[in-house]
Amino acid sequence: MFKKLTIGLATFLLVWMASVSAVVAQDAATSGSQMLAAEDAASREEFRSLDENVQDLKKEVLDLNRDLFLLEEELLFPANSQVAFFISLDVGEYFDLDSVNIKIDGKEVSNYLYTRREVKALLRGGVHRVHMANLKVGDHELVAVFTGEGPHIRDYRRGATLNFSKGIGAKYVELEITDRVEKQQPEFVIKEWE
Amino acid sequence: MLLLAAGWYSSAYAKEKREPTIVKDADFGEVLYYFYQEDYFPAIVRLLAAREQSRLENHDSESELLLGGLYLSYGHHLRAAEIFERLLADNVDPEIRDRTWFFLAKIWQQRGYMAESQNALDNIQGELPKGMESERHMMQAQLLIERGDYDQAIALLQDWPGKSEWASYAQFNLGVAMVRSGRVEAAAQILDNLGGSDPFNEELTSLRDKANLALGYAYLQDQQPVAAKSALQRVRLEGPFSSKALLGVGWADAEEAQYQRALVPWMELRGRDLLDPAVQEAMLAVPYAMAKLNSISQAADHYLNAIEAFYEESNRIDEAIVKIESGTLFDGFLAEDRDSSAGWLWRLNNLPEGPESRYLFHLMAANEFQEGLKNYRDLAYLDRNLDEWQESIAVYRAMLETRKLAYEERLPMVEQSLAEADLDGMANRKLEHDAQLNRIEQSNDALALATTEQFALWGEITALERNPALNANIPEAAEVRDKIAMLKGVLQWELDKEFKVRLSKARKDLQRTGEALVDTQRSRRHVDEAMRVEPMIFEGLTAKVDGLSPRIDSMKQRVEVSMAEQREFLQGIAVDELQAQRERLDTYTVQARFALATIYDRSSTAANAEAQGGSQ
Repeated sequence: MFKKLTIGLATFLLVWMASVSAVVAQDAATSGSQMLAAEDAASREEFRSLDENVQDLKKEVLDLNRDLFLLEEELLFPANSQVAFFISLDVGEYFDLDSVNIKIDGKEVSNYLYTRREVKALLRGGVHRVHMANLKVGDHELVAVFTGEGPHIRDYRRGATLNFSKGIGAKYVELEITDRVEKQQPEFVIKEWE
Repeated sequence: MLLLAAGWYSSAYAKEKREPTIVKDADFGEVLYYFYQEDYFPAIVRLLAAREQSRLENHDSESELLLGGLYLSYGHHLRAAEIFERLLADNVDPEIRDRTWFFLAKIWQQRGYMAESQNALDNIQGELPKGMESERHMMQAQLLIERGDYDQAIALLQDWPGKSEWASYAQFNLGVAMVRSGRVEAAAQILDNLGGSDPFNEELTSLRDKANLALGYAYLQDQQPVAAKSALQRVRLEGPFSSKALLGVGWADAEEAQYQRALVPWMELRGRDLLDPAVQEAMLAVPYAMAKLNSISQAADHYLNAIEAFYEESNRIDEAIVKIESGTLFDGFLAEDRDSSAGWLWRLNNLPEGPESRYLFHLMAANEFQEGLKNYRDLAYLDRNLDEWQESIAVYRAMLETRKLAYEERLPMVEQSLAEADLDGMANRKLEHDAQLNRIEQSNDALALATTEQFALWGEITALERNPALNANIPEAAEVRDKIAMLKGVLQWELDKEFKVRLSKARKDLQRTGEALVDTQRSRRHVDEAMRVEPMIFEGLTAKVDGLSPRIDSMKQRVEVSMAEQREFLQGIAVDELQAQRERLDTYTVQARFALATIYDRSSTAANAEAQGGSQ
């Protein structure tokens, strides 16, 4: 005949609690999950050994990526001819950025469409390297056209121009969108990064 | 320059209000751009690269703290801890320092680094914001329970203030500590209190169900069916614990020989998913009750149904084990959001579709499985990253070779052009022109700057002057001589009039020629320098490519080995889980067969007895 297994109250409570909870307080997202305390020590040891190995690999791959990133830049954009263009957004109350179109010396080089996530990152202070170019030493013209939503939820499209001189050595150019509070309008400024 | 409304720490462990931070280095802002998108891997790579190039000079200390935060967010906790242990010792805002230790403690506890977690908690000196402070105490209590220091855990949990969610969790963990320290009655009392509470959200309702279930089964095992039923009936019918509670209610009735009543919850369970152990047990409990109620034939039918159902389920589990062991299952786990490099905050929320997924559902709640899966996911990201670099490095190698070839092809032409361009001769000629112009100026030689027509005209006039016929002493000759003299005078006048302008223009032209010559000489030096340096640049870049390429290959091999190990570890957990389910089904099948045999045996004995009685 089928028979229930009987164990003591204390043992049962112990096993049950260990299996269902113990880490309920850990985190709203993880409540109800099992606590490592209840898990097999050997398994934990194995997990830790694997985890340490993963940690080592992460470090080495990150270092390798750093070296590759630098090689890539040196190869594709040598310092002598390199010009980097950055977008920054300060406050952004009067302008909701949608896209940026960049022309250098009359030639379109970039047309970047921003996701919500990227705009949020810009609003929090992130700076986006929107384009990298190799330019000859001498004078150049940059025209940037910003599109998005302006004051009163209207489509907004504005351009800004910068004539700049490229010397020897890398150059950084900042395309900055700020709020002009007194006019309740956004302002688009292009300048060489100080 | 850019004003940041909040600092980098405005993410996971941020303060609510801070002074604005100014981004002074574009590269620092770029790191923040990826950080704020929770794309930690590229953020770290850019930060490391920018530091290597000394491009973060204005954010020296911030960048180190940011790197620590990025490592922590990425789940690279050991490296993060190295940085924090160095940085947090001194000049860091105490609030930031305490928050950082808090998050380190949390990640370490999740990953089973208990000693490290305790050390991090010990480093917190001040009071954390409210929610974090409660969680910190809860983590401390769990660490104490983990290492068997129940008295201290109980002391910490016992007088938990307020009626928050944390207070309920504290009650539950207090129960755990009490049971483990042998204070069972007190634990039962705590669970009873918790089980009778009035929860205000789903989280707490679920906790209350768990407490009632634990308590109900504890009473059941302690032969107290009435108390057990009372606790079990407080479990919600529609919640995740309802099957187990219904099973228990049935057992409580059966314990009191109320088999008809026990059949009600058990029959309800028969319609539910057979994967649930409570449902499996109910498939045996139903015929057990029927047999007790002398419905032997029905009981036998139910046992047969159960055996058949268990057999089919066991086969399905076997198939799932084969699928898991084939190694393809875990790639499906990573399909969701596979390109993101989000770190330790990532969790698997949905199992991939497939027959085996249903067996693994509750593995998702296990830290060890989730953390192992995170590592597997991170390794898969590294593997893809290295794949991409393998392709790129091959392209860069080809690009360098093409450039080198183009350079070598152009070089002879350039060398020839340079050889033909006699820059020294040009400079000498320029100097000769300078001297000539000086002589012209000093001698006021206006004719030297005459136009071609003027010069031709001057030649004609002087030729006419030399004509012997003009020397004749006749009036016509005198008239022609006068006209020639007049023409010559007019021409001389014109030449004199334009002399200064022409001289000035000639000087300017010569000056421009000199400037152009200087530019050409400079360009020549650049070309010479480029011809000297370019082979070295090619050599340097080629050496880097040659050095990095095998590093990628070797790293990829190591990542793949590690992935296989991690996959094996996860497969082990999953297969163990399935085998446990299969073993349970096997046990139930044996019990059902035994019960069935007993029924047949009794029926046969009874039939024999009847037959014998009839024949007598």
